[in-house]
Amino acid sequence: MTIRGLARDHQTSVRRPADFDDFWDAIMAELAATPLDPILKLVPHRSTDAVEVYEIGYTSLDSVRIGGWYCRPRETWAKGPYPGLSIVPGYNSDPTLPKSWAKLGYAAIGVAPRGKLGSDTQFNPGYPGLLVHNIVDRNTYGYRGFYADAARAIDFLLSRPEVDKSRIGVHGSSQGGALTLTTAALRHDVIVCGAAGAPFLAGFMDCAAVTHSYPYEEINEYVRLYPEREEDVRSTLEYFDCVNFASKITRPFRIYVGLADDIVPPETGYDLVKAMTGEVEFVAYERCGHDAGIYWEMPNVETFLAKYLKPALADTGVHAQMT
Amino acid sequence: MTTVSSTAPADLDAFWRAIDDELAAIPAASESEASALHSTEHSTTSKVKLTSIGPYRIEIFLSIPHGDGPFPALLLAPGYGSVVTPPPYDDRMRYVAISIRYRGTRGADKPYAAKFPGLLTDGIENPDRWRFRGIFADTLRAFEYLCGLPMIDPDRVAIYGSDIGVIVAARRNRVNALAVTVPFFYRLADLYPTTEIYPFEEINDHLRAYPEGSEAVNRTLSYFDPLHHAARVTTNTLVCIGDPGVAGGPEWMAPLTEAFGGAVEQYAFTHEGQTDYDAVDRWLAQQQGVDPRPRTWLPQDIGPWSAAQQH
Repeated sequence: MTIRGLARDHQTSVRRPADFDDFWDAIMAELAATPLDPILKLVPHRSTDAVEVYEIGYTSLDSVRIGGWYCRPRETWAKGPYPGLSIVPGYNSDPTLPKSWAKLGYAAIGVAPRGKLGSDTQFNPGYPGLLVHNIVDRNTYGYRGFYADAARAIDFLLSRPEVDKSRIGVHGSSQGGALTLTTAALRHDVIVCGAAGAPFLAGFMDCAAVTHSYPYEEINEYVRLYPEREEDVRSTLEYFDCVNFASKITRPFRIYVGLADDIVPPETGYDLVKAMTGEVEFVAYERCGHDAGIYWEMPNVETFLAKYLKPALADTGVHAQMT
Repeated sequence: MTTVSSTAPADLDAFWRAIDDELAAIPAASESEASALHSTEHSTTSKVKLTSIGPYRIEIFLSIPHGDGPFPALLLAPGYGSVVTPPPYDDRMRYVAISIRYRGTRGADKPYAAKFPGLLTDGIENPDRWRFRGIFADTLRAFEYLCGLPMIDPDRVAIYGSDIGVIVAARRNRVNALAVTVPFFYRLADLYPTTEIYPFEEINDHLRAYPEGSEAVNRTLSYFDPLHHAARVTTNTLVCIGDPGVAGGPEWMAPLTEAFGGAVEQYAFTHEGQTDYDAVDRWLAQQQGVDPRPRTWLPQDIGPWSAAQQH
């Protein structure tokens, strides 16, 4: 049994680089200058009476082609325009096919950032592997493109005529929780709300210090093997830390954590909330681990997203698959 | 809820004997490479290539505790997804532990790279061609390799995880403790028509394209339903149980728990992830004579923002 202090009393050691905003502004400018070149291919056998399912592709940073799934309600099921919702994946998870969200009335994209199945021909650091890929160099670190790919998915939604551009949200858990935060920060011009479970990639080094569970254990393994590189690792990660993105998020958010989470220690959830400037609903579940109380929380996530995004079939007994 | 549609095929044992025969006929040709990255002060982890039926080269993560053995052994029964990581740190401290990169997953995705979704229905209308025939063989191959390691205690070999473990325990009599935390193949023929949740929805997707295939799909699933193998499992078994009234709940699971040939305990999920993890870990540790390693961190309170959110 590990004994430690109250999660809410913890403070991460994350520093914010002076050029943090410049670093990401340059990346987003490069991304904006890259043609999206979206493609959609209907997948009839995965489509239903309610939902059309598409395999999609678009171009992201460094001209890497990104895949994913796009699901939209049929007009006979729900009339458009539809709120857009980006579902971002966990670290070990394969990209979500968000059919259940489309059945609720969302035009939903299941993002496959580079290295995930469907986006792994030009970049494939492997799992385990992504978390420490080029971790001593912020300009080629794996998450540089990965964050950009998730942010770029919003451009894909904006390119769709059936999507209401004033109602776009983002949701995911674990790494998906992190991408929910980074996407909301990098696309604060568009994102209306976000729901993030057990957000990973916040307080990287603090988390790695208190857990031996993967994926953070990848950092421990790397530093154990190359102790002389620890400061370079720390310096890189500060450019990718969700705590440093948090101040850019001004729209309503819901964050939920498990107070016994060994994979994403819950302490950093509190630091995120402190750094965020918008309205935040924060929920911490006792004795829950990386599930972050999803058994109880999922209906709350649906309700929260529906409050701001107003899908046509909220409160009709249709429910989304747990994320 | 308690009516099971699947019946055991008449040639069930012959089907599985053929898999055993194929495995016996092809050398595992193990090739081990220590991984400095994944090794710790407590254990050494290696990647081991093995040949399974096909022939197909798979990979496992093998972790061996430091110190004098023999050690209890643990096979982590694989789940559904492209990513397989080394065994958890806590398990590596206590067990000779393996996790399996079965065919199609990362690390074993050449020449066959599985799609997710897609794997579940790859060849599903023919039990001899269903991709999971090979994946079950991969798991059996990995189990054989584990049992052949000289540093394990042959009387303490456990399986933990998905219900693939039931069939491994049924086909090999070396297991002394089996913890089934995730039913996947059990009553799959009853489950998929009632749900739109992936990965089970993959079967509904398949049948939308091939509606005439329903009978063939259910026939294939019957060969792999743990229900039809459980009577051969005589080891101590723990089965995790979900909520009453739904798939995975006590009524749903009753046919399986009643079918086992040995002692069965049931654990009712609380849905508090760490409570549930610790309970199963404690049971397994007790069976294997090692210390439990609870992950729950105490004391903590739930913070000022969540006072109204207690469950």
